[in-house]
Order: sequence, then C-alpha cells, then structure tokens
Amino acid sequence: MTSIISIKNLSKTFRGADGVEVHALENVSLDIQEGEFVSLIGPSGCGKSTLLRMIADLIQPTNGQLTVNGKTAQQARKDREYGFVFQNATLYEWRTVIKNVELPLEIMKHGKEERRARAREMLKLVELGDFEEKYPWQLSGGMQQRVSIARALAFQPRLLLMDEPFGALDEMTRERMNNELLRIWTAMPEMTVVFVTHSISEAVYLSSRVVVMSPRPGRIAEMIDIDLPRPRGSATRDLDQFFHLTSRVRHALRQGVGLGIDE
Amino acid sequence: MAAASERIEPNARAERPPRDSSGMRTLLSSILIIAALCLLWEGLKNFSKSVDYALTVGETTIDLSLFNDTQLPHLGDILGAFSEPSQRNGPPLYAMLLENALYTLWAAVRGFFIGGAIGFILAILFAHSRLLQRGLLPYVVASQTVPILAIAPMVVIWMGRAGALEWSVPIIAAYLTFFPVTIYTLRGLTSIPPTALELMQSYAAGWWDILVKLRLPNALPQIFTALKISATASVVGAIIGELPSGIQTGLGIAILNFSRYYNQSPPRLFATILMAGLLGILFFAVIAGVERLVVRWRAEAAS
Ligand SMILES: Nc1ncnc2c1ncn2[C@@H]1O[C@H](COP(=O)(O)OP(=O)(O)OP(=O)(O)O)[C@@H](O)[C@H]1O
Ligand SMILES: [Mg+2]
Repeated sequence: MTSIISIKNLSKTFRGADGVEVHALENVSLDIQEGEFVSLIGPSGCGKSTLLRMIADLIQPTNGQLTVNGKTAQQARKDREYGFVFQNATLYEWRTVIKNVELPLEIMKHGKEERRARAREMLKLVELGDFEEKYPWQLSGGMQQRVSIARALAFQPRLLLMDEPFGALDEMTRERMNNELLRIWTAMPEMTVVFVTHSISEAVYLSSRVVVMSPRPGRIAEMIDIDLPRPRGSATRDLDQFFHLTSRVRHALRQGVGLGIDE
Repeated sequence: MAAASERIEPNARAERPPRDSSGMRTLLSSILIIAALCLLWEGLKNFSKSVDYALTVGETTIDLSLFNDTQLPHLGDILGAFSEPSQRNGPPLYAMLLENALYTLWAAVRGFFIGGAIGFILAILFAHSRLLQRGLLPYVVASQTVPILAIAPMVVIWMGRAGALEWSVPIIAAYLTFFPVTIYTLRGLTSIPPTALELMQSYAAGWWDILVKLRLPNALPQIFTALKISATASVVGAIIGELPSGIQTGLGIAILNFSRYYNQSPPRLFATILMAGLLGILFFAVIAGVERLVVRWRAEAAS
C-alpha cells in the first residue's frame, strides 16, 4: 500500500493580533494509506481543523513535513488531488443545485455536456436527482450537505477531506448521511477519506482508523484501528465489538482531558 | 373540486413564492402616503387661510403666509398647469416638459453608464490591489466632498475647449453616480464568507474564475443597491449640470426659466419639479425591475 498522506513532526503556531502565540499543533506525525477512512476526533480547539486545512494547503505549517500523494500540499492542491467538505455546506446561493455541483468542473475546464452528465450522476449518487433546478435555500440542511458532497466528488478526487460535515444535523439525519457516505466510499475503492468529527459513535461506525487528539498543544493521543466487519449497517451499532471500540475511544479522549465531547 | 385546488396551492407556493404580493403592498402603501401628503398640503393651506395666514398662540404670532396661493399653489392648480400653454401661443406645458425631460433623461442615462462603468472598474481594481485601494480610495471619497455646483462650471469649460460640449452634462451626472457604485461594489466583492473563498482555493481557481464565479455574483445585490442610488443621482446631476452649461433644453433650464417668472405663475415651477421627481422615480423603477430579473435567487428567497 502507498501512503497518500504522510505527515512528520508537523507543528502549527498561530500568532494572534495581540501577539500571543497559540500552539495549535505540536509534533504531529501520521501516515494515511490509500483507501483508508480515517477519523480525527478530539475536544474543541485541539487542532483538528488546523490539521485538515494544512493537508488541504488552505493554511501553511510552521514546522515539519507534509506530503499529499507524494507531492507538497501546495502542488497537490494545484493538481486538484482532494475534495473538501466544509461544516456548513458552502453552496453558492445564486447557483441552482446542479450548477453548484458543476462549479469545480467549470473551473477545471470540462466541457459543457460532460459537466452536466457528471453533475447529474453525482446528484443521483446522493439521491437528489429530483432537485437539480432548485436553489440552495429551497433545500434542508441535510440535503444541502449532500449537494456539497456531490460537488466534492464531481471531479473524482482520490482524497476527500471532511471537516465536521454532519455536525449541524440531527441524530436521525446524521445516521442516514453516515450510511450514504459509507455507500459512496465503498463504491470507490481507491478513495481515501479524512473525516473530522466530535461524535465517538460516528467515528467508530465509519472509520477504518480513529485518530484521537488531545489539546494544548494539539497532539495525537492514540490511534485505534476499527476492525468492525463491513458492510456496516444498523446491526453494526449493536455489536459488542462496537461498544468495546467506542469505550476505548472514550477512554483515550478522557486521558487527553476530554472536554466538550458528545456521542 | 374546491378542496382539491386548495390542497395543491400551498405546494405551488413553496416552489415559487408569490412575488407580486410584496410589490402590491409597496404600491398600496406608497399610494396611501401620497394621499396623506396631499391631504396635509391642502389641509394646511385651508387652515392657514381660515386664520388669515397668522396664527396667534399666547403672545407670539406665527406667520403662515408660506401657505398662501403664491407660495404654495393648490395641487389642483399644479396639475392644471400641465395642460395650459407653457408660453403664449406655445404647446401645452406637459408637452414642453416631456420634451425637456427626455433630453435630461438622455444625459442622465449617459452619465449613469459612464459613472457606473468607472465606479465598477475602480471597485474591481481596489478589490484586487490593496496598494491601489489605500492610495486612491481616500481621493474617491474626497471627490464627493467637493460640491457638484463647484465642479459643474469647470467641466463645462473643459468640455467646451475639448469640443465636446454635449458631453459636459453626462460627465457632471457621472461625477455623482460613480461613487456609490465604487463603494457598494467594492464591499460586495470583498465581503465574502471565508469558506466560500476557501472552496475556490481548494480548486486552485485563478483570480478571474474567483471574480466571475464568486465575487461578482456575491456583489450583485449590492451593485443593484448602488445602481438604484445612482439612477436617481444621475437625474439630479444632469439637472444641475444643465444650469451652467449654456444649453437651451432640459428640465434644469426649465426650472431656471420658470423660477424667473415665478411670480406670474407659481404652479409651472411646481409642475416642473414634479416632473423632475417623476423622472428620477421612473429611472429607479427601471433599475429595480432589472434587479428582479437578474437577482432571481434573492427575489424569490425574500418573499
Ligand atoms: N486563524 C487562526 N488564528 C489564531 N488562532 C487560531 C486560528 N485558527 C485556529 N486557531 C487556534 O488554534 C487552535 C486549534 O483550532 P482548530 O480550529 O484547529 O480546533 P478544532 O479542533 O477544529 O476545534 P473544533 O472542534 O471546535 O472545531 C484553537 O486554539 C484556535 O483558537
Ligand atoms: Mg474545527
């Protein structure tokens, strides 16, 4: 297996407007293999978003090495190696649903017909085929987030970076979205997902590996392999192994001073 | 039958919210306000007349001669003036005003487009260059502190020397219109939700794509706010610009003439002012109409 993300001794220090330094991340090392589904979990402020944004080259590390698909993060961004899903769907309100999904394809200069066809295919994948011509405000929060996932997948990146994509959704919708995401990931065997979440059960349910982080300064406290059988479904949550794994994650979080964690 | 159609209605509404109801309400309330103002106008005149234009409250006497017929004509007289000849053996006033209004409107429209284009280009430059913004924006703001009345004669002289006198009025109008366009467009281009911009960065989008696919559509509501302000300002600018221009046509010239002969016929000046106001409202309404067509997503979401 080849590692698609390779992180060595990565640190990030923010300097606030008042000159006070915040050590958001310190000496983080992490290798993610192609095809993995890795969740980052940890208390608020432990640097999960910071780590994800550095992988995406939306911010630059202070120290350390980081390669994405064997390239610098910047090169990987320029080569459009990843799709990013934000916590709020970040749809453009002046575009219809299908035009939102076409946006990356427009920027990447795909032909008009190909764009349409691909966007349509992606909307079917997230089961929003009937909503092509709606504007974002006409959709519910969960539907909007599905559109943003379709948009991230539209140009077929090998890497999907998701920052608390379902954080704003209610429990029922969130579980449905989890299943959809697993279905999509299973359909694309080479796709790697890095998924930030606050929810222990969500992390365990989805992942092949959970990375538990601790705050002040942000570090990796523990990595837990999730060897639950696949395909996963509602029965998975009833397995003893599932309980066992969630309590392991919970303990790891407590040891790293777990505050502000829900399930 | 009736029950069935009632059940379908709410769904149809959810898909496309009714746009007309808010428009109707605006129309209705503005008619009400106009009616109230008319009542106030005539009421004050009647009241003042009944107390012989002097109201005594305790020791002090308030002079109400402002409301007599030579200072503030009856609304009926003002409306009546439209159909009377504008001068001896001349065409009726409304025809004469309409001709002048069209002339002024044409200058205002040219000024609107010149000012709009300049304002738009400045905003795009400022949005992309901190240096230009810091260096030039203060002058853009300062330009509006110089009274238009002081600028207008200079423009007339310059344009006269350049042999383009017919452009002096549009340029004076443009001087008033570029400013709101610059300020509002700049704000619309730069006040972008951070993640909306990061999305573009994640696609490694170039500045042109970011401008066309994010900044401009994001700015459209603000651009239209500016254009509506500019539409009315361009009419004001054109009327003021006509005063020192030496031109013989236009609402500004008509205002000048009728104020000279005010004592002979006050309603004619008021009628001309009314015409100028209507012209501004008309231009404003046209832009508001275009806005509804262009900013679709907002128009529907708002109602
Ligand atoms: N642009 C910034 N400037 C200064 N400090 C920042 C900046 N971004 C993040 N930080 C700080 O870095 C630390 C980590 O932030 P980060 O957003 O990565 O946390 P997080 O784990 O994603 O938290 P949450 O779960 O609440 O989203 C926090 O202390 C935060 O205040
Ligand atoms: Mg975060």
